[in-house]
Amino acid sequence: MTASSTAGTRDVRTQPVQPARIGAVQLLGVSKHYGDSIAVNDVSLDIHRGEFLTLLGASGSGKSTLLNLIAGFIDPTSGSVLLDGKNLEGVRPHHRNMGVMFQNYALFPHMTVEANIAYPLQQRRYSRAEARRKVADALDLVQLNKLAKRYPRQLSGGQQQRVALARSIVFEPPVLLLDEPMGALDKALRETLQFEMKRIHEQLGITFIQVTHDQSEALAMSDRIAVLREGRLEQVGTPHDLYFRPQGRYVAEFMGESNLFEGPNQGHGASVSIECDGLTIQAHTDLPITRGESVLVSIRPEHLQVRCEQEGAHDEGGAHSARVLASTFLGSQRRLELQLDGGREVTATLSAENARRPAPHAGDRVTVAWDPEDVIVVADRL
Amino acid sequence: MTKTSRTVLWIFCSLVAAFVALPVLIVVPISFGETRLLQFPPQGFSLQWYENFFTSPQWLRATGNSLLIGALVALTSAVIGTLVSFAIVRGRSKGGPAVTGLMTLPLVVPNVIFGTALYGIFLQLGLTGTVLGFVIAHTVLAVPYVVVNVTSSLRRLDSRLEIASASLGATPLKTFARVTLPLILPGALAGGLFAFMISFDEVVVALFLGGAGLETLPLKMWSSVQFQIDATIAAVSTLLIAVTTLIVLLYAWLQAFLRRKATQ
Repeated sequence: MTASSTAGTRDVRTQPVQPARIGAVQLLGVSKHYGDSIAVNDVSLDIHRGEFLTLLGASGSGKSTLLNLIAGFIDPTSGSVLLDGKNLEGVRPHHRNMGVMFQNYALFPHMTVEANIAYPLQQRRYSRAEARRKVADALDLVQLNKLAKRYPRQLSGGQQQRVALARSIVFEPPVLLLDEPMGALDKALRETLQFEMKRIHEQLGITFIQVTHDQSEALAMSDRIAVLREGRLEQVGTPHDLYFRPQGRYVAEFMGESNLFEGPNQGHGASVSIECDGLTIQAHTDLPITRGESVLVSIRPEHLQVRCEQEGAHDEGGAHSARVLASTFLGSQRRLELQLDGGREVTATLSAENARRPAPHAGDRVTVAWDPEDVIVVADRL
Repeated sequence: MTKTSRTVLWIFCSLVAAFVALPVLIVVPISFGETRLLQFPPQGFSLQWYENFFTSPQWLRATGNSLLIGALVALTSAVIGTLVSFAIVRGRSKGGPAVTGLMTLPLVVPNVIFGTALYGIFLQLGLTGTVLGFVIAHTVLAVPYVVVNVTSSLRRLDSRLEIASASLGATPLKTFARVTLPLILPGALAGGLFAFMISFDEVVVALFLGGAGLETLPLKMWSSVQFQIDATIAAVSTLLIAVTTLIVLLYAWLQAFLRRKATQ
């Protein structure tokens, strides 16, 4: 606290909690077997100092197992976990000094909010005055000062989540692990808390490692995302990378929606051209793809340009006739299921609808077109 | 459910309740009667049998012995039962089910057999007629009740709370003291209360172990019924019913408290 600030008017924004250090975590060929089943299969990953990394995957992808391995709640069958270059093998969870925020918060029901947050400080033998100051700072950070004397059962889900967060960062761990931090909250609350979480990450500056199955959450919050599937690492990259440069069919389908087409390449060099379901699809790529090689391309639903047929689209080059199978109004968007005249079904989303302009309905005839610039060539992983 | 069938059910349940409770409750009015014999309906009203009890050194000594033994049994079986429960619920050895089975033995072995066996050993060890002997014997009988209570508390306890405690820097011992124990304490207390009750009205094993050296309240009641029946026994019974009811209510309250905790 600076000399000029008075008690009760602490402004945490001007006084970021300075962590003792910021941790980098390294996974080296980590595997975890349970009998015959393999939960995590040879995962190597560098998690940088201070970044917000998300382990993203469907249930059973091994993402939670990986988090538990980093926290030390379980031991890897092979491979190692390093914190700032130091091998954590044999280091029990209570000596790892990592913050962990659990999915259902795991707040101690017999302790007040204050006592919950003070708990890790007591384990570290902070003086009473020091602990009180740190608890107050942590409560400020999550904006819960007024609820310090309450018990967890007297709090809403969102408030419990904030208490759990405060408790896991109050002792200034170099790394914070978050297990589905938004999992138990309703959608509206989730979106506000996403920004809240990012703000806290920026303020603390420490490394955040989050587990989630929600790709939109991962896109919104992360510096980088590691996509896991059946215990293996599929792709690591920035949200932008994963969305626009997916490596493999799984990531292309998992990150947002895709209309996928596959066929042998008939183009040359940087221009790719495939025939699939009676369509010719052209794209540009900087990937080394040879003529004749089988290529997977993706067109995002938001990149399909849909026009009603009476708008006179027949003369447009590259447009395809289609019939609307289903049309769903989603507020900011309209989602269309279309069947192209060749038989292929695709999904399109239209934005910027307004009250007067007629929207396509099921049964309408439309034309569909796309810009080759928007076609994504999916890199083959192997 | 129709109205008639509800009425029939109500009458049936009342009859069952009366069948169970009336023979017990009948001693209450008798204890306030004037006649020496156990007579129902009682004649007159007097508190002389209560006076008899509270002025008799033998009755008071027997009561004191029972309270002391009961309290010690509650304590020892709560501690031992809690430790056993941990072994059963958290232990990694394959012996868990075997221990659980062993724990139910005192519930199925007839007390007469247990008493006979114990008598032989305790006589050699000089434990008959001693508080220690009683406490050991009754603890064996009472531990299963504590185990039932504490294992269910432990199973209800979210194990992630303990993992969370570790992640916050607490050693396993600290975690036990600050998280696990406070959360299973109501279960252990409920078990302890039950253990007290088991000991407080235990008469079969007491017959083998007691005697001139040490007399518990049930023993004293037993001998007084045999040799000099008078309405004092009704007064003692009434007091016993009152104490037992109180403890059962306390137990029920603890259970309700536990459930509330669990559903939070």
